Amino acid sequence: MMSFNNVSDPRRQNKILRYKAPSTETNPTLEDPTPDYMNLLGMIFSMCGLMLKWCAWIAVYCSFISFANSRSSEDTKQMMSSFMLSISAVVMSYLQNPQPMSPPW
Amino acid sequence: MRLSRDFHGVDGGATMRSVHLLVPALLLLLAFPVSRGRYNDDFDDGEDIADFDDNDFAEFEDMNDDQAAEAETAPPPRASPSSQPEEEEEDEDEATVELEDGLDGFEDSEAQDQDMYSKYDQEEFEGIGDMEKGHSMKDPLIIHTVPAHLQNSWESYYMEILMVTGLLAYIMNYLIGKNKNSRLAQAWFNSHKELLESNFALVGDDGTSKEAVSTGKLNQENEHIYNLWCSGRVCCEGMLIQLKFLKRQDLLNVLARMMRPIGDQVQIKVTLNEDDMDTFVFAVGTKKVMAKLQKEMQDLSEFCGDKPKSGAKFGLPDSLSILSEMGEVTDGVMDNKMVHYITNNAEKIESIHFSDQFSGPKVMQEEGQPLKLPETKRTLLFTFNVPGMGNTSPKDMESLLPLMNMVIYSIDKVKKLRLNREGKMKADRNRARVEENFLKQTHAQRQEAAQTRREEKKRAEKERIMSEEDPERQRRLEEAAQRREQKKIEKKQMKMKQIKVKAM
Repeated sequence: MMSFNNVSDPRRQNKILRYKAPSTETNPTLEDPTPDYMNLLGMIFSMCGLMLKWCAWIAVYCSFISFANSRSSEDTKQMMSSFMLSISAVVMSYLQNPQPMSPPW
Repeated sequence: MRLSRDFHGVDGGATMRSVHLLVPALLLLLAFPVSRGRYNDDFDDGEDIADFDDNDFAEFEDMNDDQAAEAETAPPPRASPSSQPEEEEEDEDEATVELEDGLDGFEDSEAQDQDMYSKYDQEEFEGIGDMEKGHSMKDPLIIHTVPAHLQNSWESYYMEILMVTGLLAYIMNYLIGKNKNSRLAQAWFNSHKELLESNFALVGDDGTSKEAVSTGKLNQENEHIYNLWCSGRVCCEGMLIQLKFLKRQDLLNVLARMMRPIGDQVQIKVTLNEDDMDTFVFAVGTKKVMAKLQKEMQDLSEFCGDKPKSGAKFGLPDSLSILSEMGEVTDGVMDNKMVHYITNNAEKIESIHFSDQFSGPKVMQEEGQPLKLPETKRTLLFTFNVPGMGNTSPKDMESLLPLMNMVIYSIDKVKKLRLNREGKMKADRNRARVEENFLKQTHAQRQEAAQTRREEKKRAEKERIMSEEDPERQRRLEEAAQRREQKKIEKKQMKMKQIKVKAM
């Protein structure tokens, strides 16, 4: 019999439920699209970066922003690949044309 | 001469030979300082001429004297061959004469040239002046600037340096922001750990481990979102706490927040069983947020149709407003202790939402897809604002502890809160009404979907008939289709008749 006690232990070992990560399919609004967008932008700018220097630099920034906003569950390989792609775009554009970048204005 | 006499005295033939070698050597040695002096004078003159001549030789000012000297010697000899033959001869003679004297004749040669021209009869040498001008016009020295990438200066790469500096700043901000968020999260957890562990059997679970063992730490989802799952308590299934910090690790976000300051948030979601909560929908929070939630949340929009009431009526600060399914619910929830909790922490409370029909925000329906009734769950949802408005310190995180006490109190309270008979009937009616409305909506959609499917079928059949090559088969299929159509029409007519009879 439970004694009427203010300091009764509310914990119940038998009522434990495991954590289930909230499914993103049912709540698409909760997901932050920033890392995916930045990843995509980074890849596009990397492609353009072979022609224009400032595109390559923006690609590097995009991949950094994508990394900063990424979820910990996200694949690091994807991050690294987009990062490497942007760095290679910068390097290639400088090898091709070592002239310093002129400001776009 | 003294030197040679001295040597003469020392030895015989050998000294005579050495004297012959020494004398020219000595003469040369003596000549050099003199000539260098002359060079200096000329160089000075050269400078004046450089200024005068619009910096034609300015490029060479910093270079060696020899080079300057060479440059200076270059034009006069170059100029001289292009002049007229008579003049040329004279110039060349003059030039060679001067050079033989040991390259010490710049000043002299130029001065002599000038003298020479003044000596000459203007009539005899017509057009000298023009030719002179001609020289300078024909032979302009075009000095090109060295292309930027061949210059050995880092200054031309200023854009690149800017970019790299920006990247370094971003990385620095990332590390600092990440650290700050981590420290704030840890401060929150350290201050709340005791209370949670005394209330829940399981504190901290990421769902991956086999055994249901408390991890005893926060689960990091992001650099700015930390989760904590607590379970194993009476009156509830579990509690998910989300620390939603600002994106301090993203420099872009930091800059955006300078325009529009926002604060960190702590969101607590308690899920309950059927026995743990009676059927009601209730929310209290800041006026702005209440208005927003009423539009966005599925259950609040369906069950709490009235405008939010001011909290002042129930003893709360005026800044807060209440959305409720019925008055009885408000009276039941807003007991003295709850009012006390809310009033003391009014600035930290963004919203408190109790609902047995919680299904999240309204989901936008896609065209052509009949929506099933959304799954509902008995939920208590608390959203708290961390004081500091972005400039949060660990102490601010610790100041949220009374709010956690309120949460625990609410869980126990909701378990005890039971509507009276009237309230229960009202609540049941409301739920039935909402379900009916929903089914009606979906019914219309389902009918539409069925109609389109039927039309598709018909079209497909017609096509099949058309594509049949055998005319006999075609005829037979057409007949079959016609008969089916006829049957359908008859059926419908029968139904209509029946309805009419019933109505009568």
